[in-house]
Amino acid sequence: MSSAVTVLIPTALRPQVEGKESINLHGSSVKQIFASLTGEYPELGKRLFKSDSELNRFINVYLNDEDIRFLDNLDTAVSSGDELSIVPAIAGG
Amino acid sequence: MLLSGFGEEGQRKLLKSKVLIAGCGALGTVVANTLARAGVGHLVIVDRDYIEITNLQRQILFDESDVENAIPKAVAAKEKIGSINSQIKVTAVVDDLNHTNIESMIEGCDVIVDGVDNFETRFLVNDVAVKHGVPYIYAGAVGVVGMCYTILPHLASPSVTSNGDPGPGDKRPAGGPCLRCIFEHAPPPGMNPTCDTVGVLGPVVSVIANYEAVEALKVITENWNAINRMMLHVDLWQNTMRQFAVTKAYEIGDCRCCKHRVFEYLDGKLGSSATTLCGRNAVQLTRNSADGHKLDFKDLASRLRSHCHIQVNKFMLRAAIIDGGHPYELTLFTDGRAIVKGTKQPEIAKSIYSKYVGG
Repeated sequence: MSSAVTVLIPTALRPQVEGKESINLHGSSVKQIFASLTGEYPELGKRLFKSDSELNRFINVYLNDEDIRFLDNLDTAVSSGDELSIVPAIAGG
Repeated sequence: MLLSGFGEEGQRKLLKSKVLIAGCGALGTVVANTLARAGVGHLVIVDRDYIEITNLQRQILFDESDVENAIPKAVAAKEKIGSINSQIKVTAVVDDLNHTNIESMIEGCDVIVDGVDNFETRFLVNDVAVKHGVPYIYAGAVGVVGMCYTILPHLASPSVTSNGDPGPGDKRPAGGPCLRCIFEHAPPPGMNPTCDTVGVLGPVVSVIANYEAVEALKVITENWNAINRMMLHVDLWQNTMRQFAVTKAYEIGDCRCCKHRVFEYLDGKLGSSATTLCGRNAVQLTRNSADGHKLDFKDLASRLRSHCHIQVNKFMLRAAIIDGGHPYELTLFTDGRAIVKGTKQPEIAKSIYSKYVGG
């Protein structure tokens, strides 16, 4: 079943998504959501993914407040109303 | 002192405590200010940099006279803190934190707070914190967002149990994931926003740095149950505060640093001697000299004077250099460390250094 999920885009990656702060997408897994997202915004995909199946290791993705690496990674199921936060490491200080 | 969980005993613990403030820029000045006023007995402030006019928007311990007089940040911070709380000790270290010196700087420290502006140094701090079991408060701020996370390292000493947690006599809670459990790799240059590309909002710095400070106070006063075991993420423009669960990062992950106890940054295997600086069109060059030889500014100044305008004091020599038609500003410290402004390319910075300083 396809669910409506909100993807929260960090400031650093907004230039790759026409400046949007969040994007609503439909899908049943994190993988499906990201496939739609990077299909529409391929430049974002280049920054998020190291390979087709692996996210870059300086970017974490949280489903609500849980890191997807410790759920089922890209195969993690999503439900309507879920939030997917893309969280890059912050280096400034 | 009147606060519950603090009391006179807490205040005494503060006075006896020693805190390393790693980096004294935006976050570091706010943390140093808060901890000094709280009565932390000994602050060790390490910073490699000098103060620029653009720092004053957020770096609260500095003023225009520090910029004019080209005072190093650690020294200026010590002077200001001396007039805020004369009862405490402040050690100012004008140096680059690197794998050769960081272990001596954390000696006797109860906690390390993060004031650095790059991930390479954070991973170095993380290595030393885990190796010696010293709590480390990670924080970062850029643009309108900031993060803070308290690292209570898994311990490796005879008093700990087989899984690295404290033994029965130790009041400290079980360790949690380290910074490398959470972010396995440092973001590569150009892939992450810096203070250079997006700026940083003063209030974000204050908010995040004060989160750091309160976490440090909890560690020092051993209010272990009050410590935030989640990673805080604040966006002051979207008005959101989120907390992310990170504890499984240790349990499920396979961290080289805290699970395998391989300290690649501290061993000098990872990390470089040339660092592009956040927020500036500049590169820092570190000189690892076994003999600890200090530069003689007099000779160098007389040589450089014929080429360019220079400014010199006992801490630094600054030269405005035109090279290949391009302006650079070279700031040299007595230990041979240099900051080359006018480029983000380590190679160009090294070339400028070689041409005008030698070595």
